[in-house]
Amino acid sequence: MADDTKPNPAGVPGVPPQQKADESAAQKNVGAPQPALAGAAPTAAPAAPKPVVPFSPILLKYINEPGSHTLDHYQKRGGYETARAHIGVTDPAALIKLVDESGLRGRGGAGFPTGKKWSFLAKGTGKPIYLAVNGDESEPGTFKDRYILEKDPHQLVEGVILTCYAIGSKHAFIYLRGEFILGYERLLAAVNEAKAKGFVGKGIFGTGSGEGKTAVDLIITVVRGAGAYICGEETGMLSSIEGGRGYPKIKPPFPAVSGLFKCPTIVNNVETISAVTHIVKNGAAWHKQWGTEKSPGFKIFCLSGAVKKPGVYEVPLGIPMREMIEKYGGGMKDGMKLKAVIPGGMSAPVLTVEMVDKCTLDYESLASLGSMLGSGGITVLDESVDMVDAIYNTMRFYHHESCGQCTPCREGTGWLEKLAHRMHHAEGHEGDLELLADVCKNMRGRTICVLADAAAMPMQGFLQHFKGDFLAKIKDKAFVERQRTYRDELSPEAKRLSATGAGPSAMDVGSWQEKK
Amino acid sequence: MSAPKEVKIKIDDKELTVPANWTVIRAAQENGIDIPHYCYHPDLTIAGNCRICMVGLKGAPRPVVACAQPVAEGMEVTTKGKDVEEARKSVMEFLLINHPLDCPECDQAGECKLQNYSYEYGRDHGRFHEEKVVKSKATMGPHVKYWGSRCIVCTRCVRFEEEISGQGTLGVIYRGDRSEISLFPGKALDNPLSLNTVDICPVGALVSSDFLFQTRVWNLHSRPSMCADCAVGCNTRVDLDNKEKIKRIVPRRNDQVNKEWMCDYGRLSFPYVQENRLMKPLVDGKDAPYKEARQAAAALLKKGRVVFLISAWNSNEAFAALQLLAAAVPGSEVAGYANAGRADEVFPGFTISGDKNPNRKGMQEVLGIDADASLKELAADKGKIATLVLVHNIPGYQATPELKAVLDRSENVVLLDLAKSDLLKYGNVAVALPTLTSFEKSGTFVNKDGIHQKFLPVIEPVNFGRHEVEIFNDLARELQHAAVAHAAGNGAVKTKSGA
Repeated sequence: MADDTKPNPAGVPGVPPQQKADESAAQKNVGAPQPALAGAAPTAAPAAPKPVVPFSPILLKYINEPGSHTLDHYQKRGGYETARAHIGVTDPAALIKLVDESGLRGRGGAGFPTGKKWSFLAKGTGKPIYLAVNGDESEPGTFKDRYILEKDPHQLVEGVILTCYAIGSKHAFIYLRGEFILGYERLLAAVNEAKAKGFVGKGIFGTGSGEGKTAVDLIITVVRGAGAYICGEETGMLSSIEGGRGYPKIKPPFPAVSGLFKCPTIVNNVETISAVTHIVKNGAAWHKQWGTEKSPGFKIFCLSGAVKKPGVYEVPLGIPMREMIEKYGGGMKDGMKLKAVIPGGMSAPVLTVEMVDKCTLDYESLASLGSMLGSGGITVLDESVDMVDAIYNTMRFYHHESCGQCTPCREGTGWLEKLAHRMHHAEGHEGDLELLADVCKNMRGRTICVLADAAAMPMQGFLQHFKGDFLAKIKDKAFVERQRTYRDELSPEAKRLSATGAGPSAMDVGSWQEKK
Repeated sequence: MSAPKEVKIKIDDKELTVPANWTVIRAAQENGIDIPHYCYHPDLTIAGNCRICMVGLKGAPRPVVACAQPVAEGMEVTTKGKDVEEARKSVMEFLLINHPLDCPECDQAGECKLQNYSYEYGRDHGRFHEEKVVKSKATMGPHVKYWGSRCIVCTRCVRFEEEISGQGTLGVIYRGDRSEISLFPGKALDNPLSLNTVDICPVGALVSSDFLFQTRVWNLHSRPSMCADCAVGCNTRVDLDNKEKIKRIVPRRNDQVNKEWMCDYGRLSFPYVQENRLMKPLVDGKDAPYKEARQAAAALLKKGRVVFLISAWNSNEAFAALQLLAAAVPGSEVAGYANAGRADEVFPGFTISGDKNPNRKGMQEVLGIDADASLKELAADKGKIATLVLVHNIPGYQATPELKAVLDRSENVVLLDLAKSDLLKYGNVAVALPTLTSFEKSGTFVNKDGIHQKFLPVIEPVNFGRHEVEIFNDLARELQHAAVAHAAGNGAVKTKSGA
């Protein structure tokens, strides 16, 4: 229980922060559920009924306010007070216990319980302990960390301060995707502001100034990636921070035992660390009032594709997928019919319409449907989408991004892309489907990191649920032409997608026409 | 140091007790169980990227890589079975889809792990009908060329350059199936350990430009030998063609001496066996039969001050025989000398000795002579020498001023040498007797760490040379001291004086 821990200065645990209704109304991008609707959902929710607690965004609460990324703004809304109250006061072990009790699960994709991860940290090694925050957000369809970094970086910095204090780290690295230029500038500014105020540096929050008090020191280093998806894999990121090629490392040893520079290291996602700030502030019970038994709390989802209002939405875990699409996304675009949903970033196996109806947004529900919650990047596909085209596009990505370390992934991703390319150009054979399935099977579970699985899973999902689309392309050569015409006539949006690479590129269509 | 903790494990029905810090692949290898591998090398760090060493582990949901799997008490490993075989088969298939399959023109064919494992574990037909990735070719350094398309990116060479040679010249560029090995800008693979990268390359990606297109390896046969180029005494394997000509020298594993490494100097030293050899005995600069030459030499041993000067390129056996010969020549002196040294070339994982003599330690042991001090002493003493018996045998030797001074003071010189070297010009060489290179004779060298290593002949003598022991015996016989011959261990010696 949170009550066992040291004081919660900003609020009594278990009581949600006061929220004004008009605050959420002011937000354009971030949907705020109406209490009634939030509770009206679950026909398919697997967890035992919980008292419905109204929810309004927490991590993304302020992102639409001007200057939300500045220290002034952050401090005006009580920023750094949580850290001030705990640093040097609370027992670090109690903080770990608090986070463990909150049931917070990693928001980067794997969903590993955060408190548990922290407790695995090797103790008494005599080596420094590092915190590495993963902000290399590159999963296609995912754009949540970006909002935190660009709009509210101070809550991340405060989370880093609290986490480092809890795990006993004196040096944190925040690794950002190289393309996040604004995010980098703002985060760096935030770290420097915090440093100027004495929240980061030597003897933070005045610790060590009194008699008999030990100073708490913290260095935060912001590292930029150079545009590689694999550097978002936790050990690939560590290799990159070390200055090496972003090759993932063999596990075990896990980073908690031997990670960055062979020292014990905790790797967490930006969203996870940001959530730590709020959990420490409000307590474990407060966090657990939302979500399901095994997926407590709230999470940011990134909605994209054929919905009226794509964007980032912070919601309690466990809401139905339909609610996400209909209510937050504003429903399907006019004239478009739902065909499939990719629920957790590109790597997550695809869901059919029937599965979407059954699906709730929590770790267990998606796992039971053979997919995963992943990073929370929900991509909605409509009937006009050519599934072979979509999977070819996906495979192109993984082929491009495989680091090339392990044989099955290095060669397999390329093979899958070439096969998908051929099928997409209506030059496939029936045996190709079997071959695709076999290549996927041979790639899975045979590599150092899970990129091979991440590439094989969507292909397996598409093959399982949309085999007809593949077969249609093999059997009916005119299918491609019809599909293309349909897309072009359907809407200007479809045309735009085509032009930006989400659909068949101009080059692909051209080369196909030449062959005809 | 306390003894390392040991654990009991089981690999395929074979129960083993192995140190707790070993990996599964090491435990298997040291106990004669074969697990296929490309990227694993016992002297390099674990990369775990080739994925062919997958084995079944009881309790594990899927096969694991044996190279990165530490052993644990009670572990049960299977190197066979459906899961494991399927995994290997799939890895072989993946490795070959972008491989050019240019075995007919590849230098590695015949000793290629891709070929061997494909035969053993691979599929019987290909399923890949797409376009292959084509990668670059490059010259990495003076001795090494790179065929990118054949490369399986096991990174053995990269790790070697980082960990053993410490030069860090190589890295991987590009990603995915475009990955290639490349030089870092401004660097070249030109360190004297560069050819080891060719040895450890499991495929035909890194090839030796010296050996390139010289022969097909299945036309070669091999004999074990030892490198005489410096005081390390690397164990080698000499590969010969069907005309008994040396084609290449590669290291042979000896964990106490050279592990599995060897320097480029030693590998490329062998041409001296063929070049400029002293083919026949010379008496007063003219070809003469051996009998005549040895009689002339023996006659010279009977008058005035006789000095035996022997180089540190000779074997312990030669030293011992010389000692006995010297005992048979009253008043004779024995001195030693050595090839000029230079600084050791120290790399993180290997040291090339600067002492370019294979047996300086042996001279110390058998004759009790320090080679450098001995020559200095001899050069400093101004007395005339009636006969200098110079036992040379150093290929490519540059005569030092000291040796020249000694030669100048010698009335007659009896030279035992491999080649028609400059020494023939410097001194008044009355008799020259051809000798054998270390490839053509047997003997024992003591390396810089005091390890005694025996070597055997790998080729027939190129010249009409003889072993020094034989020559010393013959000279002793000429001097009517047959007992010497016995003591030197030459069984063919007759008790009567020679014919």
